[in-house]
Amino acid sequence: MRWIRPLSAQVEEGAELLGAKAHGLVALHRLGLPVPAGFVVTTEACRAFLREGRLPGGLDEELATALAGLEAATGRRFGGAGTPLAVSVRSGASVSMPGMLNTVLNLGLTTGATAGLAAETGDAGFALDSRLRFLSTFASAITGTDVAGLAAQDGEARLADAIEAVQELARLRGRPIPDDAGRQLVLAVGTVFSSWDTPRARTYRELHDIPHDLGTAAIVQTMVYGNRDEHSGTGVAFSRDPNTGENIPYGDVLFGRQGEDVVSGRSPTRPLRELAGREPAVWAALSDALDRVEEHYRDACYVEFTFEAGKLWILQVRPGAVVGGAAVRVATELADERLISRREALLRVSPEHLRHVRTPRMALSARDDIVARGVGACPGVASGRIATTTDAAVRMSADGPVILVRPETSPHDMRGLAAASGIVTARGGPASHAAVVARAMGKPAVVGVTGLVVGAASVSAGGRALGEGTLVTIDGTGGEVALGSPRITTDGAGAHLRRLLAWADDVSGDHSERDETQRLTAARAALRHDEPPGRHR
Amino acid sequence: MTGLPGTGVGPLLLHALRCGGWAGVARLAVAGGLDESTVESELIDLAVAGLVTYMSDGFNVWGLTDAGRAANAERITAELESTGARPAVSAAFERFLVLNPELLDLCAAWQLRPVDGVMTANDHADPSYDARVLGRFADLDRRATVVCAELSAALPRFGRYRVRLSEALDRAGSGELEYLTDGTASYHAVWAELHEDLLATLGIPR
Repeated sequence: MRWIRPLSAQVEEGAELLGAKAHGLVALHRLGLPVPAGFVVTTEACRAFLREGRLPGGLDEELATALAGLEAATGRRFGGAGTPLAVSVRSGASVSMPGMLNTVLNLGLTTGATAGLAAETGDAGFALDSRLRFLSTFASAITGTDVAGLAAQDGEARLADAIEAVQELARLRGRPIPDDAGRQLVLAVGTVFSSWDTPRARTYRELHDIPHDLGTAAIVQTMVYGNRDEHSGTGVAFSRDPNTGENIPYGDVLFGRQGEDVVSGRSPTRPLRELAGREPAVWAALSDALDRVEEHYRDACYVEFTFEAGKLWILQVRPGAVVGGAAVRVATELADERLISRREALLRVSPEHLRHVRTPRMALSARDDIVARGVGACPGVASGRIATTTDAAVRMSADGPVILVRPETSPHDMRGLAAASGIVTARGGPASHAAVVARAMGKPAVVGVTGLVVGAASVSAGGRALGEGTLVTIDGTGGEVALGSPRITTDGAGAHLRRLLAWADDVSGDHSERDETQRLTAARAALRHDEPPGRHR
Repeated sequence: MTGLPGTGVGPLLLHALRCGGWAGVARLAVAGGLDESTVESELIDLAVAGLVTYMSDGFNVWGLTDAGRAANAERITAELESTGARPAVSAAFERFLVLNPELLDLCAAWQLRPVDGVMTANDHADPSYDARVLGRFADLDRRATVVCAELSAALPRFGRYRVRLSEALDRAGSGELEYLTDGTASYHAVWAELHEDLLATLGIPR
């Protein structure tokens, strides 16, 4: 085939053609890890699409052939009324563009296929929920707006209403969703390719020096259902704690839900370790997978996974992605474990990481009580009493530091933001209003705390209520919100950093008194001089 | 509108406080395109009518009372329906929502940039990076101009946003870097006010 490659261990081509996500899935296949069957429409097809304004000739036929292959592999019928096959269609460029490109889940769940899925599973609610998820992600993608607000309904009647509402919305926007699985797929691939060229994506590439002509691949995979039953769910996992670098798996899991819920932060997640108690077989398989990907990439890794009826599937893998003190610890320990050499450890820690090693962090111990977790949006640690409104923040700040806790912020909160020592919001990401203002004011901030509910004079998180005035401490790097005032450190990577720098001095041969950055930089310069180019990432 | 002291400035100030939150006299004057003495005397009248309140807690700012918020909501809804502007404002709001995430991306990129894979505070020591971000701001601003024009054609009071956004961008472009994301006259702050105004005007809860 010209435009399509199977996702299999035999594929030899690189990330430029397959995209980084599909390239990672090929690596997972080679490691013998469970990956849902699928194929990838290459970045070359995307480039042809962008050039000509339509999908390249022959792709329709290739898609039909590839799908017939998936049907044969799974024993299911795409869009069929009996044992229906549904697929995910995900973007995946050779460079990371988080949140910029489209993803469609449960594609192929036509009216007939949804009835078939309901009959097969005996669970009409599950089938309708899956169809609603398909329509919401598809409508968002083809209309270029977020229609996810219509999702997450309970009860079959309300699900049916929501399904009708999403279809109506797509019709109103002049982009009706076809009730034919094959046409849905062709439309979805075109939509994923078009998302490469939205103004927002173009802006992102301009800012990050990414060429506009790379294009994205479109990955089509058999759907696995994290919303299937009580032994199903979805999550993200780091092979090592990205906050500290400690060699223990870290992440979030969401029981009974599908993939986008974790990444989008729309639903409250549970700490990854709860998987061990609730689904020990899934946990064992995941731990094994994390070990194998680390050994393959010789680095800490991030994976996205789903489990359906007790069976684990890996949906994405990415090496690296730890920074600051965590990067120091990971590199040092990988060298201790002989996965990498000491020289390579030195090359993996840039002087920029050292600058972040000294950022104040909470030094959490088992005694500390983490009440909520979000996304760190402005580094630093702040302690104070919870204020839930701007007025309360201004009033209470006369008596000592306060932490302003809001669902999200708007111009109405400016006085509160100014009065507070730190900021926590339930919604929003690192580019939200609260995050932008917090950085402008240089105040530690944690945003996107899922499950945080802000009431009139109290907040609740993870099922616990905290009254206004409760003392909390927030860490704007790791995104933790802890009760009371845990110890704060500016030397989180302490012992590891001292060892790494001792290796640096051995390499540079200079043991004189200098600052940390100079010691590391000298070693890296010596190594780069010694080594042939291109040996290191 | 009944019950409001009457120059037309009063309703304007109430709405500025509704969209921009607590504000001092100088900021309200800029937001409304008014002189400060007019703003101040009008605020005193509004306070007597129980619609605004003064906070002498060091911030020295004015804000809406519950009655002021209700009076504003009533007036804004009446204005929207009597002028028949709802369809045009709704359509413009949808286009605003397409631009909004990109604007927030740009603000974040102005404050943070990846260095060796680490998100690092932008210290503005690299003029070429800043110029690139500013260039994208200007590009987005051109597209925002279309939305602003639609809005002020539907309801002329939206015209002030175009003026204020341009001023913020011009000042940032001529070296006053804080006019992109910092402070209450920054592009980000004016944009957030416009966002709040659209929500308030269309009666959409946050």
